[in-house]
Amino acid sequence: MNYFTVDILTPEKIVAEGIPAESLLIPSVRGQINVLPNHTHIINELATGVLTVFGGADDPDVDYSVSGGICKVLNDKVIVMTHIAEKNTEIDLERAERALEHAQEKLNSGEPLSDAKVEQYRNKAERAQIRIQLAKTNQ
Amino acid sequence: MANIKDLKKKIKSTKGTLKITSAMKLVSAAKLAKAQQAIQSSRPYANELELTIKTISALVENYSHKYLEENGNNETEALLVISSNKGLCGGYNAQLTKEVRRYLAETDKKVKVFFIGKKVKELIQKEVNVGKFYTFAKVDPTFIEMETVGKELAGLFTSGEVGTVKVAYNQFNSAISFTPMVKQLLPLSLDVEERKELEEKFPFDFKYEPTPKQILDALIPETFSTSLYTSLLDGIASEHGSRMAAMDNAVTNCKEAIKSQTIKMNKLRQAAITTELIEVVSGAESLNG
Repeated sequence: MNYFTVDILTPEKIVAEGIPAESLLIPSVRGQINVLPNHTHIINELATGVLTVFGGADDPDVDYSVSGGICKVLNDKVIVMTHIAEKNTEIDLERAERALEHAQEKLNSGEPLSDAKVEQYRNKAERAQIRIQLAKTNQ
Repeated sequence: MANIKDLKKKIKSTKGTLKITSAMKLVSAAKLAKAQQAIQSSRPYANELELTIKTISALVENYSHKYLEENGNNETEALLVISSNKGLCGGYNAQLTKEVRRYLAETDKKVKVFFIGKKVKELIQKEVNVGKFYTFAKVDPTFIEMETVGKELAGLFTSGEVGTVKVAYNQFNSAISFTPMVKQLLPLSLDVEERKELEEKFPFDFKYEPTPKQILDALIPETFSTSLYTSLLDGIASEHGSRMAAMDNAVTNCKEAIKSQTIKMNKLRQAAITTELIEVVSGAESLNG
């Protein structure tokens, strides 16, 4: 089986570096794409969603919740540059639930919000939902 | 001449200083470790992002973004100075101030100076045109807070109010060394040689999803805020490094001072004892007399 490596970088920390994968699911803005070894070189914009690294026989499959950024596939090396990335086992369920509650409260409170704010809270809620889902499937 | 009592007092107070400085050194060492970790984990992201953006913009033709091009304003400039809020960190703020002064003397543009950290501001606010002083909820700003600062500065650039945006900070080299420098953030420049090199390295083009234009539109502001944030992290790490070195020096000096004063005190004490002994002995002698 062929393998390629995956790096996940965020402005605040290196989430993963050089982890081997035999398949990778990327949430791009135009839907999910699957990367296999010897994939052509692409640069993709990421959406908010779940990025799954299939480790193959020896390594476990890992889910990451990611939000925004880009992904570069070049010579069997995938570099994911995203704003926020969390490994499924490291998600703080309580915090995600609080974030979701807070965002929904803001959206439903009837307060006059600017478009940018509404967008921001919607993104927050979406991100929180994904994280909750990931954390729950992991339990 | 100092008497024994004075010396004792002095030694006691120096011991107090020693305790404080060694505690500060330990605190700085811990903070430095954290700051160093932060900068080391954010550099790969910043470098990779910069490389990617340069690659795309070199490969894609006919693309222009307002951050990439000069806006025709050659007269004014915004300079963001990242210094510390606390003193006692050796030459950290003084060296940065020197670099900023040197830069301001050299440039022929009208410079509006923005500040993060109050130390350099206090030193030079009377000499320069002060734009704004940024403060944050905690001592060290987060990425989001820095993004807001970045947006404000970028706003000045896009509206044509300033022609360039630069940042002055101390670049972190190692725990004991940093370099004060002024770096240009906007317009993001890609020089011709770099462009050629990249074009040779990538004879093929990437497949873009959705379009190279959309990706660049999203990435260019990102690169800007990331490089601003990295400058800040550099500054923070240098500050702790510098403070640790300064406190280390202070600890050594304190120890030396205590040692020399103790010797001095002991000498005085011995001299006093000798004088007293002579007095007693000579008193006894005279009684025998």
